[in-house]
Amino acid sequence: MQSRPELLVGIVTNPESGRDIRRLLFGPSVFPTSEKVSMVIRVLAALGVFGVQGVLMMPDYGGIVAGVMRAARAHDNASLEPWPEVFVIDQSIERSANDTRRAVRSMLNVGVRLIVVLGGDGTHRIVAAECGDVPLVTLSTGTNNAFPDFREATTAGIAAALCASGKLDVSKVCRRNKRLKIRLDDREEIALVDIAICLTRHVGSKALWGPENVAEMFVTFSECDSIGLSSIPGLLRPTGRDDGEGTVVRFDREDPMYWLSAPIAPGIIKRMPIHSVEPMPPGKKFAVRAKCGTIALDGEREIEFTAKDHPLVWLDREGPLTVDVHKTLKLAANQGLLVSDKPDPDPQQTLIS
Amino acid sequence: MTAQLDKKLLLQAYLTMRRIRDFEERVHVEFATGEIPGFVHLYAGEEASATGVILHLKKEDYVASTHRGHGHCIAKGMELRTMMAEIYGKKPGICGGKGGSMHVADLDLGMMGANGIVGGGGPLICGAALAAKIKKTNNVAVCFFGDGGSNQGTILESLNLASVWQLPAIFVAENNGYAEATSSRWSVATGNIADRGAAFGMPGVIVDGHDFFAVYEAAGEAVKRARSGGGPSLIEVKVNRYFGHFEGDQQTYRGPDEVKKLRETKDCLLLFRQKVTNQGELTDKELDQIDEQVKAEVADAVDFAKGAPKPEASDLLTDVYVAYA
Repeated sequence: MQSRPELLVGIVTNPESGRDIRRLLFGPSVFPTSEKVSMVIRVLAALGVFGVQGVLMMPDYGGIVAGVMRAARAHDNASLEPWPEVFVIDQSIERSANDTRRAVRSMLNVGVRLIVVLGGDGTHRIVAAECGDVPLVTLSTGTNNAFPDFREATTAGIAAALCASGKLDVSKVCRRNKRLKIRLDDREEIALVDIAICLTRHVGSKALWGPENVAEMFVTFSECDSIGLSSIPGLLRPTGRDDGEGTVVRFDREDPMYWLSAPIAPGIIKRMPIHSVEPMPPGKKFAVRAKCGTIALDGEREIEFTAKDHPLVWLDREGPLTVDVHKTLKLAANQGLLVSDKPDPDPQQTLIS
Repeated sequence: MTAQLDKKLLLQAYLTMRRIRDFEERVHVEFATGEIPGFVHLYAGEEASATGVILHLKKEDYVASTHRGHGHCIAKGMELRTMMAEIYGKKPGICGGKGGSMHVADLDLGMMGANGIVGGGGPLICGAALAAKIKKTNNVAVCFFGDGGSNQGTILESLNLASVWQLPAIFVAENNGYAEATSSRWSVATGNIADRGAAFGMPGVIVDGHDFFAVYEAAGEAVKRARSGGGPSLIEVKVNRYFGHFEGDQQTYRGPDEVKKLRETKDCLLLFRQKVTNQGELTDKELDQIDEQVKAEVADAVDFAKGAPKPEASDLLTDVYVAYA
């Protein structure tokens, strides 16, 4: 790889997000590759204007990096406002979550100041497990997401640039998130939003879309207006991202305390048999009650377990640092960071004839 | 989402995948002897796709296949003996030995045939699905095609037609990464074939084609959607083939250990065995018995094909025209 500038931001885009099986059932929104490319371009535009010199991207087979590189070349020929130089990590592509893990490790090795993540809850979970204290700017491109922001990439890019360049105090605009941990024998995994214990035997198509087989749920936070399975604790015991506890919900069709109508997917409202609801304080370990089945981490079935595994779940406050875009831009506005005495440069001056 | 698939279905899934694998591995060996005429394109590595989809179908449902069609034919229930004889170009072959590998078909089983025309299956299943809709049979039609086929006008027109007519059709894109020797990374403009569904107003989803359970779940929902009048769906199955585009392909476009690594880490039969034995759903002994059974079936099919007569000169003038009743 050629020499890189000092002020680097990492960008992780999941080429597979937004295409899971739930589209066959509920018709949630689609995020095609072209839109992901467009979002990255909008982030680049903002990063460039506010002084970020280079970005490091995860390579992919989905056409995202290729699209971004094409756009960057065209931009170089046509505009005065510089974009950061785009570097692509030199790594093989497995078409799995491991691509993201290795990419984030590479980003940390070269000292990126911040990582912009485009993906769903699952993508953010993978990044969060590797990113240490490097802050994340989160952008949703998945299905029924709770963790990442669903917002315009340009404004997220401005916030990312302001934080990465040190123009404002990152500690004032970042949140340390809660997370869930689960242990089975010697395997440990994390989740950022929820862990659902499902009675299906196999991870199959991964996405968790059939609420009838969910036996238990552990959540870090659950807003009352969220969509998806986390809407259930959200409508029983709303818990914010900054609240100290999480929530545990158990379901039982044979012995329900009551039935809760909840929007478990876009367009789908189901009555869920609530057996119990209890707070989940940090550090308290909860044994999974089901003897066998699958464990869904942030909405994706990832682990098949049996009676010999005895999974344990607990909550802690050592999740990733995420940039609060609203707070960042408000602080920037109050400090006059976006004010200048010069007009926009004239693009016509640099057009290649 | 079913908590547990019944044992009979799990055994059937393994039997089908094992039949396809052993059939293809044996054709690979036999083709090298020069006894098999024409071209063959082997399906080994992609078994979970055909099996996971077709296990949801009834005999009356239609399937249109590709030039890499043996797996779809076996999954739809064709006999190994008459299939092998067809590939050998022998008279007892399912098409009289006159079609060969790329034209194996059995309309009585709803198998509209392997197809030498890339992307040729799309219009066929639109016809079959339209018939099902008009006749209110509640049948569905499935079109398998590859990443190369996904770039053909026939497939794009069929996606449009199926959506306009809201046909009970399922389009299964088996993206094995290479259209002959051309990488799908280079040739598929949208990156993911599933993305094209949105352009035609139908859902497009991606599943891991190495995992039978992933394909089975997605296909089940797509079939249910089609049967209930919900219209067509597009499923992109990300998968890999173990052999070349055709037998004799030197595969200089692939990495030196690419296939070896796939066989070791992503093999659908291996993954299936690990999953069902770990969950206590099936035992190694039960699966080993199927392995033995299939080994004998394939050996029998090859012996049958080798010993069968070739078509005669007079057969040239039969099966040329179709008589409509």
